[in-house]
Amino acid sequence: MTEMMIETRNLTKKYRGTRAVDALNLAIPRGEIYGFLGPNGAGKTTTIRMLLGLIKPDSGVVQIFGQDLRKDRLRILRRVGSLVEYPSYYGHLNAIENLETSRRILNVPKSRIDEVLHTVGLTKDAKRHVKGYSLGMKQRLGIASALLGSPELLILDEPTNGLDPSGILEIRELIKRMPQEQGITVLVSSHLLSEVEQMASSVGIVNQGRMIFQDTIPNLQRKAGSEIHIALSDAETAMITARELGCFPRLDQGKLVFKGIDNDQIARLVTALVDARHSIYRVEERRKSLEDLFLTMTGGGSSDAASADDTIASGAPRAAGLRREAAQ
Amino acid sequence: MIGKLLSTDLLKMRRTGIWWVVLIGPVGLAAMQALNFGLRYDYLVRGRYAADPWSGLLNETAMFVPIAVYLAMTLLMAMIANIENKQNSWKQMLALPVRRSQVFASKFLCCLIQLLAACALLSVSTAAVGLALNFSGPIPYADLLTFGVYPMLASLPMLGFTLWLTLTFRNQAIPISLGIAASLMSVFGASMPEVVPLAWPALVVSGQRALTFMGLGVGLFAVLYLLGSAHFSRKDVA
Ligand SMILES: Nc1ncnc2c1ncn2[C@@H]1O[C@H](COP(=O)(O)OP(=O)(O)OP(=O)(O)O)[C@@H](O)[C@H]1O
Ligand SMILES: [Mg+2]
Repeated sequence: MTEMMIETRNLTKKYRGTRAVDALNLAIPRGEIYGFLGPNGAGKTTTIRMLLGLIKPDSGVVQIFGQDLRKDRLRILRRVGSLVEYPSYYGHLNAIENLETSRRILNVPKSRIDEVLHTVGLTKDAKRHVKGYSLGMKQRLGIASALLGSPELLILDEPTNGLDPSGILEIRELIKRMPQEQGITVLVSSHLLSEVEQMASSVGIVNQGRMIFQDTIPNLQRKAGSEIHIALSDAETAMITARELGCFPRLDQGKLVFKGIDNDQIARLVTALVDARHSIYRVEERRKSLEDLFLTMTGGGSSDAASADDTIASGAPRAAGLRREAAQ
Repeated sequence: MIGKLLSTDLLKMRRTGIWWVVLIGPVGLAAMQALNFGLRYDYLVRGRYAADPWSGLLNETAMFVPIAVYLAMTLLMAMIANIENKQNSWKQMLALPVRRSQVFASKFLCCLIQLLAACALLSVSTAAVGLALNFSGPIPYADLLTFGVYPMLASLPMLGFTLWLTLTFRNQAIPISLGIAASLMSVFGASMPEVVPLAWPALVVSGQRALTFMGLGVGLFAVLYLLGSAHFSRKDVA
């Protein structure tokens, strides 16, 4: 069995009678980048606060590194780096002094400060008062102090909040490197599916305090389902060729649309079609947009799940991999 | 652990101006008396307190000690708490491997160190005033050392209360208003019933059963401190 870095059982927190977090069961194995996804007010920050012992659950258990948070809080927290919501900082101190306040408690060598400042790209501004920093720089400083104690588990609440596109990319790459280079497990919350999809290996989706989906990203994508669209010169006769190969497409605006077809079948099909003198214009994969799936699951939009082909509806079409012009 | 916390807390006080408060309070008080005694030298030093000018100086200064101590506690604790409250650094600080009771203790120790430093400064600067004015008679070392600290001990319940308020609630308007109200009321301390803690520092200054009221001050402080610390250790951190 894989070792669980974070495990919660029936974690519940009520605010004035309403459950901000409702019987949440998190399970995060070692080495994962776990995307903790949910719309505003879903209970992500509340959950993270409970994981760090900042607030007490009304019921339920938190286990980190297999230890009970209530019993071993200090030993657990020594191995955890965190950033909760917007960054905290001491504005009248510079970045080095800010990190020094944590360093003295974490008991790590002074050289760690330079290292983490370098990691987040703040070396140049290290001696400036933090109150003069931009939001993005403060966010970086927050990540730097999360990394300071060389944690085994990193808990980041919306770490790319307030960063510009290049900053988002940088932090995303940084997070992606964590498990490979240092064996760090990461829990990163976000309300943007696209962001989580680009860095996480598994995902938990919460809505109104409840976990509504928890699995790996590939499984989430599988759940979203995909179709192969082949645009070619004579769709009607191509249908017959396809049927002879045991594929049963539907016809859609002069294109053949296949559901649940694997790579081998596509390869054989394309060869057969080329042999049959069809001009193939494009072969593309179209996915039911994950955003649509997300909205359907969280009930956050009236988006119709059946409009799977409508790739434009939720932004960029997700034609991946197979898009290829068949030259003939 | 508490040592590490204390060194962190002292580091966080850089550039906050807290130490200026510690310096200006007692030195200002002594300067006020320097003016008082300097301008009314004939009346005070040669006349009223001719027999013992040192006691005269100490008594005149001591009258202002209760109000000064209450103000200092309010201001210092508000400034200390503000360091964490300002950008809500509590969530970051308390997610570090620290015991909350020790965090609370460290903040208290910071304030206590500053109060003691202010008392020491008051002793030194008052002695300087007496020496500068060429007071006759032996320097009353013992009284100089204690005339700030004793009323401070009797005022400690205020610190116990404001410690909890400032560290627990983000809104500092309440503790600051209460602190200012308490310091103004402490002026009339000597005419209040003995059961009112606000009267204790003034009673210590007037020298009646000083030890009793210091003991009461420390005792009540201990109770308030433990209650405050227990709540701080359990409360949700926003
Ligand atoms: N201290 C509090 N007092 C009262 N209600 C609270 C408190 N903290 C959170 N809540 C409520 O709990 C719910 C979950 O809030 P939470 O901050 O965990 O959401 P979130 O998933 O982090 O959202 P976001 O994406 O906006 O950061 C919200 O409805 C919020 O109003
Ligand atoms: Mg949040």
